[in-house]
Amino acid sequence: MKTHALIAGITIAVLNGLILVPDLRPYAAYFLAGAITLALWLIARSLIYREDTKPAPAAAPSAPAAPPPPPPKQAEAEVIAVLSTFQEKGRLIDFLMDDITAYSDAQVGAAARVVHQGGKAALLEHFTVVPVSAESEGSRITISPDAPRSHYRLTGKLAGDGPFTGTLVHKGWKVESVKLPRLLDSDDAVLPPLAPAQVEVQ
Amino acid sequence: MEKTFVLGIDLGTSNSAVTLTDLAADSSRVVEVTQLLGPGQIGERTTLPSAIYLPHPEEFAAESVRLPWQEVSGPIVGQFARDHGALIPDRLVTSAKSWLSNPHVDPRSPVLPWNAELSEGKLSAFEASQSYLVHLKEGLLHAEKKDGHDRDLAAVQVVLTVPASFDEVARALTADAAAAAGFHDVVLLEEPQAAFYAWAEQAGSEWRKQVSAGDIVLVCDVGGGTADFSLIAVSEENGNLAVERISVGEHLLLGGDNMDLALAYTLQAQLEDSGKTLDEWQFRALIHAASAAKVTLFSNETLNEVPISVPARGSGLFASTLSTTLSRTTLEAVICDGFFARTGVDEMPEEDGGAALQEFGLPYAADPVVSKHLARFLTRSLQNVRASESLSQLFSTRPAALSGGFLRPTAVLFNGGVFKAAPIRRRVLDLLASWSAGEEIRELAGFQPDLAVSKGAAFYGRNRVTGQGIRIKAGTARSYYIGLESARPAVPGFKPPVKALCVVPQGMEEGSAHLIEDRQFGLIVGKPAVFRFFSSEIRGGDHPGELIANAEKALEETSQIEVSLPPMEAFPAGQAVPVRLKSVVTELGNLELWMEHTASEQRWKVEFQVRME
Repeated sequence: MKTHALIAGITIAVLNGLILVPDLRPYAAYFLAGAITLALWLIARSLIYREDTKPAPAAAPSAPAAPPPPPPKQAEAEVIAVLSTFQEKGRLIDFLMDDITAYSDAQVGAAARVVHQGGKAALLEHFTVVPVSAESEGSRITISPDAPRSHYRLTGKLAGDGPFTGTLVHKGWKVESVKLPRLLDSDDAVLPPLAPAQVEVQ
Repeated sequence: MEKTFVLGIDLGTSNSAVTLTDLAADSSRVVEVTQLLGPGQIGERTTLPSAIYLPHPEEFAAESVRLPWQEVSGPIVGQFARDHGALIPDRLVTSAKSWLSNPHVDPRSPVLPWNAELSEGKLSAFEASQSYLVHLKEGLLHAEKKDGHDRDLAAVQVVLTVPASFDEVARALTADAAAAAGFHDVVLLEEPQAAFYAWAEQAGSEWRKQVSAGDIVLVCDVGGGTADFSLIAVSEENGNLAVERISVGEHLLLGGDNMDLALAYTLQAQLEDSGKTLDEWQFRALIHAASAAKVTLFSNETLNEVPISVPARGSGLFASTLSTTLSRTTLEAVICDGFFARTGVDEMPEEDGGAALQEFGLPYAADPVVSKHLARFLTRSLQNVRASESLSQLFSTRPAALSGGFLRPTAVLFNGGVFKAAPIRRRVLDLLASWSAGEEIRELAGFQPDLAVSKGAAFYGRNRVTGQGIRIKAGTARSYYIGLESARPAVPGFKPPVKALCVVPQGMEEGSAHLIEDRQFGLIVGKPAVFRFFSSEIRGGDHPGELIANAEKALEETSQIEVSLPPMEAFPAGQAVPVRLKSVVTELGNLELWMEHTASEQRWKVEFQVRME
């Protein structure tokens, strides 16, 4: 799952970057540990995971070499595959690429319903989405020290030791499970389209 | 080989699903079916849409539509087939299951997609069913192998579900398709029974508290394309509760798809009234939108209307999206009052419109009112029970149940996607109560609309292999007859009525046989001869050997075949050999008819299976 790899890679970079932020110095060790764990996971994953879509070759006399590295475009292709389901089901790319200024709110509203209905279906097909905090927005909450730090963004006056208490401004969203489409190996050098051009053949 | 696994396969008209039970661990799970979601894209879904798309050779790169377990790419099965094929109906095969039971078209001749201008590559209904089963099998084996399990199909008991309304020909074809797909041990189970098993499994030991002796459970199953009814009687036998399926309905091509279509037509008229027109692609989008709006309105009863937006096909989303609303009034008028109208129990469905010339195709129900079909089913069920002494016995404690005009159920078990909507379930319960002078009919709790059939099939398979747990007494759903030519003087201009001999009584159980001892028949061998087979759902009292005077009127003809049986020494071709008739229902539930020479070991088997017109 190259999308995982991509997300993990970005997270590593972010974690490493955070080590350099002075305000977050006390947490540097966690960031470093997180980054290392992710990096190890990434390496392990890239070694063991590969959807085998080729029929099993006849047993070769010599031991097969390690699987060839995936084509560099695989990760991009997987991100495109996710976006393309949002386009196919919810016309998201059409919605974003169209010039919105020329249209009335009623027209935009009608289009938004298409995006909402289909886009939500696409989202829930691939991800189980739940709020980070189960409390209602506006209520006062105390952040559990066990909660993953990435799950809470603290703003306002930040001083002293945790656990921190504050008003929940946005309940946050997280993904409980991910079920991405997998790509079949293709020798195609071009990336798949976000949406193919459609031609009605007469 | 000892069975260690059970596969419950719901081979549905519009969606298929599989449940796998590990007998050693006594655990079950619904199998996630790997399928193409787009070119070059695969993923897992709990159901496999029963759709096959026949791609043009230059349409997709072969690699992008080849599944991980395939050597070469072939027709596309599942989600992408249905999505993409909807735009190219000439290359899309759907509803193969309904074609299996179509009396007008040979299920083994490659005619699908029906009416398509495709010169080659068309499939028969049989091949299509086989393709779904191959996909389910290969996909499962591949996924199991990836998880490190090498499954041996010889250790798998397969339970394949069929509509209760399937006749023997369609049942045999389904079993053959499973064998052709590479499954070894396959038993068939009627879908409403599977739904009942799923309910019993979910209720656990509680099921005995939810029903009691004397209960008549109506299994009311309305799926995407078909409606299927059965009645299951609960009685007491030696202190234990026993369940028996006492009646099955006719094959009805009427379901949720008809309802979505009806809504879409209504909304289209609404849009046209405001001066907007829809192309074919938009109409399809409208069907989807109407279906989603229906679900929203039915599940949230505080809403009075739901806005509907239909995009055009071009990329300009803002400029050309049409909008309208679906109001609760419209929804209730179309669905509740249209399909589930409050009709009387004596109102029967209308027959065909009587047009002189009709297009051959699927024999869709002519009357869309489900209520009337239900009334007809309950009326015929009563006829069936009254005709049979053993079935009437079940009502010995309350004979009043047999005195009305229809057989009144005491409880309802719903199944099928249509009944996800609570208002529709309520309407059916209201309808049944209105037919019973207001007496309430309860709903059995534990309704699992999409996966009950495959789960129930796996549960039945487990009970069958282990010999433990609930078993529904069922046997053959119909009685079967063979047509006889009587010896009588020819009269010009007058065709004698066909007599028919009962060879298989209703409720004949697996692993049993009937020899009609006291009668001999003359069997023509060595030259082509025609056999005519008949069946009935409502003659529960007929015994093997009984003669029905006017078969064409009293029974339904299931098949007619012309065969030339191998000749026998000492009998010149065309001369009748004296035989006795013996019918057998095998352990696996297949029907066989044997003609045994009275004076020797020589015998001939005649298949019910071939159906041609």
